[in-house]
Amino acid sequence: MKNFTHLLIKEIKELLNKQLVISLVFILVIFNFIGNVTRTEMKKAMSKQKIAVLDQDQSEISRNIIGALNMARFIIDEKTGDKQKVVEEVRNSSLDLLVVIPQGFGQQASSLQPAEVETYSFLRGVSISGRAKSEIVKALLNSTNEYLSNEYLKKKIPEADPKLLKAPIKNREFVVVKDRQAEGSSAAVLGALTAQNFILPVILMMIIMYSAQMVITAIAMEKQNKTLETLLTVPVSRGAIVMAKMLAAAVVGLVSAAIYMYGFRNAFNFTDMEDVSRALGGLSPILKQLGLTINTQGYILFGISLFLTILCALALATILGVLAEDYRTAQSLSVPLVFIVMVPYFISLFADINTMSLPAKILVLAIPFSHPFFAMQNIMFGHLKMLWLGIAYNFLFVVVMLWWTTRIFATDRVLTMKLKWRKKKVVL
Amino acid sequence: MAPVLEVEGLKKKYGSLEALKGISFRVEEGEIFGLIGPNGAGKTTTLRIISTLLTPTDGRVTFLGFDLKKNPEKFREKISYLPEEAGAYRNMKGIDYLNFMARFYASDEAEARKYVERAVGISGLGERLKDKAGTYSKGMTRKLLLARALMTKPALAILDEPTSGLDVINSLEVREMIKGFTKEGVSVLLSSHNMLEVEFLSDRVALIDRGIILDSGTPQALKEKYQASNLEIVFRRAVQ
Repeated sequence: MKNFTHLLIKEIKELLNKQLVISLVFILVIFNFIGNVTRTEMKKAMSKQKIAVLDQDQSEISRNIIGALNMARFIIDEKTGDKQKVVEEVRNSSLDLLVVIPQGFGQQASSLQPAEVETYSFLRGVSISGRAKSEIVKALLNSTNEYLSNEYLKKKIPEADPKLLKAPIKNREFVVVKDRQAEGSSAAVLGALTAQNFILPVILMMIIMYSAQMVITAIAMEKQNKTLETLLTVPVSRGAIVMAKMLAAAVVGLVSAAIYMYGFRNAFNFTDMEDVSRALGGLSPILKQLGLTINTQGYILFGISLFLTILCALALATILGVLAEDYRTAQSLSVPLVFIVMVPYFISLFADINTMSLPAKILVLAIPFSHPFFAMQNIMFGHLKMLWLGIAYNFLFVVVMLWWTTRIFATDRVLTMKLKWRKKKVVL
Repeated sequence: MAPVLEVEGLKKKYGSLEALKGISFRVEEGEIFGLIGPNGAGKTTTLRIISTLLTPTDGRVTFLGFDLKKNPEKFREKISYLPEEAGAYRNMKGIDYLNFMARFYASDEAEARKYVERAVGISGLGERLKDKAGTYSKGMTRKLLLARALMTKPALAILDEPTSGLDVINSLEVREMIKGFTKEGVSVLLSSHNMLEVEFLSDRVALIDRGIILDSGTPQALKEKYQASNLEIVFRRAVQ
């Protein structure tokens, strides 16, 4: 145990070197910068913004529309004169939206003839605030349309409810999950679940990739620096050497992934977690009613699945590390591992494993990294058999791989195994 | 004198390639035993087997009465191995490297400190031990590693091409370090293709070629037997 701790500290120190610390700090700085820029843009989009309006009609309805625009966080720069000249003027200014209400608009609208409003968007980039402005105007015109058509219907059929006339069929939605049922929109429920879990696959991918890369690098560096042979002749068991390397890689991998995720969350937190919580808050009774929440037991099962997957990745990466001769080969060897991790990552984002064809499903589930990606879904939807099978499969995989890894380290193969396309060279 | 190490009929195959074809030799207590032969003769394979890095295909290796196949951990406790192309951890200071290695052999902190103090003396690197090993020259790294190998006063130090790649001055210093240590009871098994170096260092030598020991004895006895002025000529005549 004394020697194992001694080795573990050395491995962590070796992995947590200056280069890694600098790259992690760099990631944090970059993500923080991206986050600041994004948040500034979002704030800009949400704050009062100036738009140009040319009201050639000057009717009651047109004045009402301008009043509504004013209420909708816009500062109105009202223009007068010829439309082409105004378009030209706005084009040369910093304003990027012009709303033109043509002459006769009010009269046509009140007599329920087709009435047009023209909006000119001046694209000067692809910023979020530019897009938001035209969307707000569009929403405003939709509500004006709604108001006008309601008024018309009220005038023509005073005894009827305009809303009922426009949508006589109402859809009462129910969501059913196994033996549970709740009234609500399935789209909203799915949206809430996606919003709740969108970051999880990214975290999983990062943890697996980082840990695996760390252990491959640790072994490859021992070979590159010609320290492996000496280490293998010191009075410490080969199992302890392997376990120290794997544990150190897991610790440094987890720390790196946590830092990466912190930066990632900081950079891409567009909606603000408070918004997500608020949105979920409305749906949480429905989610609870449907049993789509995770209890302590669920989190424990997910933890077991994740832990076994990390061990699978570490054991596999250790073998790849033995094949590597130096740092460069180690980097190349970790590429296939990254692609393998990406398969369940993308499937968990864009597809449902349960609806895939059987051969495809077997292929995906044969990848030991797949299981935690689907674990949450399996826990929520009660597919516990699949979850337990995944845990059992990963456990077996870990046992076999650890046995194999220790065997490799206990025999000549730790020195003679090489990934070479040319004939093996032996030092006599 | 009781042998520290006894090798009998040692064989090693890499697939169809027979690297060792049944070699036998003994290393006595406190002596320097040299394996000499050209590149590819089987010297490194022999040393790697004795230092528990490789498993023999056949034969028997006994060290202080322990059998290699049954008790490899006993070999690791009492043997120090210096590989031909060894390095130190580049991000570790020289002194930290010695400390790190000493702790595997020491039973307590005090013993580890004693080993490190001895290694500081052997290496002669002084203040440079406070620098990272990555900044060392080849000669400095070799001295650091040799100090690591000898600091525990192992029952047997296995040195593979100890002066490989070193300049004349560094080679001389390393040879003197090795010679000095046998006076303290350390047995040394070394290999080199530099036959003059082995002649200078060794009490006894074995001539090895293509996995076979051609002859062995003291350098003087071999020179007389083959009527040669040095071991290079002895080797050439033994091969013929």
